[in-house]
Amino acid sequence: MEKIHLSKGFTLKLAGLPDTSVIRLPRPATVGVSALDIPHIRPKLLVKEKDRVKTGTPLFCDKRDTSIHYVSPGTGTVKKIVFGRRRRLLEVVISLDAMDTFVEFDPVSSKDLSQIPSGELADHLKKGGLWQTLRQLPARDTADSAATPPLIIVCLNGNDIFSPHPGLVLQDKIRQFEFGLSVLKRFCDRVIVAARTNSLALLAPAKHLITLAVPDIYPAWDPGTILYHIKKEAKENAAWYIGAEGLVRMAQFLETGRYPVDTMVTVTRGNDKKPHMLTRQGSPVRLLAGNFPPGSLITTGRLNGRIKDPDAHLGFFENTLNILPDAQGDEMFGFMRPGLNKPTVSKAFLSCLFNREVQLDGTLHGEERACINCSYCENICPVDLMPNFIMKALVGDDIEEALELGLLDCSRCGLCSFTCPSKIELTRILSRGMDAHHKDKQG
Amino acid sequence: MNPIKKIFELLEYDFSDAGKFAKLGPLFDATKTFFFLPSPKTGLGPFIRDHLDLKRYMSVVLLSLMPVLFFGMYNTGYQSGLARGETLDVWTAFLSGAWVVLPIIIVSYGVGFFWEILFAAIRRHPISEGFLVTGMLFPLTLPPTIPLWQVAMGISFGVVIGKEIFGGTGRNILNPALTARAFVFFSYPVTMSGNVWVAGADAVDGITGATALAVNAEGGSSLFSTLSDQGFSLSNLFFGFVPGSIGETSALCCLIGAAILMVTRIGNYRIILGGIAGLFITALLFYFLPGTRGTWADAGPLYHLCAGGFLFGVAFMATDPVSAPGTDPGRWIYGFLIGFLTVILRVANPAFAEGVMLAILFMNVFAPLLDHLVLKHRISKRIPNV
Repeated sequence: MEKIHLSKGFTLKLAGLPDTSVIRLPRPATVGVSALDIPHIRPKLLVKEKDRVKTGTPLFCDKRDTSIHYVSPGTGTVKKIVFGRRRRLLEVVISLDAMDTFVEFDPVSSKDLSQIPSGELADHLKKGGLWQTLRQLPARDTADSAATPPLIIVCLNGNDIFSPHPGLVLQDKIRQFEFGLSVLKRFCDRVIVAARTNSLALLAPAKHLITLAVPDIYPAWDPGTILYHIKKEAKENAAWYIGAEGLVRMAQFLETGRYPVDTMVTVTRGNDKKPHMLTRQGSPVRLLAGNFPPGSLITTGRLNGRIKDPDAHLGFFENTLNILPDAQGDEMFGFMRPGLNKPTVSKAFLSCLFNREVQLDGTLHGEERACINCSYCENICPVDLMPNFIMKALVGDDIEEALELGLLDCSRCGLCSFTCPSKIELTRILSRGMDAHHKDKQG
Repeated sequence: MNPIKKIFELLEYDFSDAGKFAKLGPLFDATKTFFFLPSPKTGLGPFIRDHLDLKRYMSVVLLSLMPVLFFGMYNTGYQSGLARGETLDVWTAFLSGAWVVLPIIIVSYGVGFFWEILFAAIRRHPISEGFLVTGMLFPLTLPPTIPLWQVAMGISFGVVIGKEIFGGTGRNILNPALTARAFVFFSYPVTMSGNVWVAGADAVDGITGATALAVNAEGGSSLFSTLSDQGFSLSNLFFGFVPGSIGETSALCCLIGAAILMVTRIGNYRIILGGIAGLFITALLFYFLPGTRGTWADAGPLYHLCAGGFLFGVAFMATDPVSAPGTDPGRWIYGFLIGFLTVILRVANPAFAEGVMLAILFMNVFAPLLDHLVLKHRISKRIPNV
């Protein structure tokens, strides 16, 4: 097992690590398929309200490649198709029947696997609604099946610090996971399986399959960060990546010919140690989150997720909900206090003297100001970018300089915005720059 | 409810866009956020944010200035006592010094904030915290005898020409406090250079005396003994019991401030250590040059370090992140060259006894170039991804 070393990243100890017990949640009344957590997609609806759908019926596809289907994770009736502003598709909601009827696909056994051409295999996965679990760096778009990737990274840990533990996700599914790896081998010879060092103990049954251990500093387990630290030449930039659960579901789909509907989710809130929850993909947020104080932010990754409407459903790629409290109101002379209870990665509050578990609320702690070139963003960036200089290049519309400075290596971990004392939305500016560049390239 | 909060809520409407004092909105906003630290909800990821903000950032700089400020007040009183031939006790010296120093600080803050508010009101942006530091740094670089109208002129120049015409905090090329000082230095040389007036020695005239850096030994005697004769022994220079500008006399207090800045990582240690290294090495080189006996070339690194405003400048002025380079190698070079240029100006340039102000301003101008070179180098090291 190889290791990568990473000194920069998020070093605070957060409270609220989920418990390693697993509970199964009751069957939800509705499930949803969100279009918001799928990057770059231009969805094209394939169903209408009140249509009957089976588990595995395509609900919408991607206009850029209409063979990529997003399928229903349950059997029932299309209850509602929710649009946002400018008729942007937000989600398709399905009210569930008591029993599942599956759309049946041809199963692919491990013996068949070597016989099928990889193009046909990709088409099969696209129809089944699981191809999109494979994504392509640097834009993190759906993998391009026409291209041959230089390598595929299997990221066992999810996007958030408290994403589901891979040891629990892979519990009793090692065989499927291994099958999944052999599927990936059909697309590329070089497959890297990466896990956090502190996940390794529970991952013992899969140990022989793990090839890379990454340190326990967020975001060392992010595919972009891993790639930055292992790549040796420019052509590796177009690597593909996939999550642990995505790979297992891909394998389950191929083996059974049915769309797998289970997913594992963690919910974090304050000091709670909630168990891992096994539920149906696309479950309603309210079912998962339980009660939460008004004014809380619900996110799918406190540093790199998105805000979740409490009435929405879990997205295709989302498996963590963080419930972040609102601030206690404006604090009098807040900037002059010693700050024993103010977690910071800087050394400007007394809290930095103690290595305690900390909690952070969902507020800015200050107001936006001009960049003062303090380099806090550079000092925390896991891929050695200088976000302040890239931000200035992008604001000045100089995409060339931004690219030269390594913009596309950015792993969108959110740490530059997290640490910025001027509260500049660096992550958004960099992400927009990358997205604009990707859109440009696609033509 | 908190009574102060009530006042702000009562006044809120008048200062909003629809109210009668809409133009003064930024002033209201600055006052309100001074009392109540705002913490709006994050609308964009990441959703958790560090507690450090610019208010805290600048407060730490102010905190690091407290030792030099209080010692400066004390020393001003103490020096004026000495000049009258009295030895004052600590409190009398401190109070009489504060009586001289506080008006200078009040004028600096008052006039400076006037310009800040004016520009903020016209440009409709919030008042930046950066001026909290500028408004304190500038008076500390002035001799206590400076006429208050010159303080007002200086801070006006520093804020308007040094900062606001570039677009405000974060966009200025030169350190505004040093720009202000340079303006006063070149415009009113009589009050500023060479000899200092010891504050309050006499109601009308004051007494003049040379600063340490203007001293040169004559007739082959050593610089050290001449300095010592005039009260500038190394220990006096280190502890700061010498006449000079308000904040810069005590090397010890500057070092305490520098330590606060370095420990809290608010000031970049690379600049401070690089500067001290540059000064040491250059001073040593001159020390070993033959034929310099009796001049400051012969002074050696310790005297160069403790005399004049070098430590004050390198700790508080050079570490201004906006006008310093934004890359780490750039900061080392920047700091080193400030130390180097300070000694060069002190030793090799007969026009200026002190060099640190000009050294820092000069390197401010070169900071973007240093950054550019470092960026080019870093780009060449990266595996391209375009």
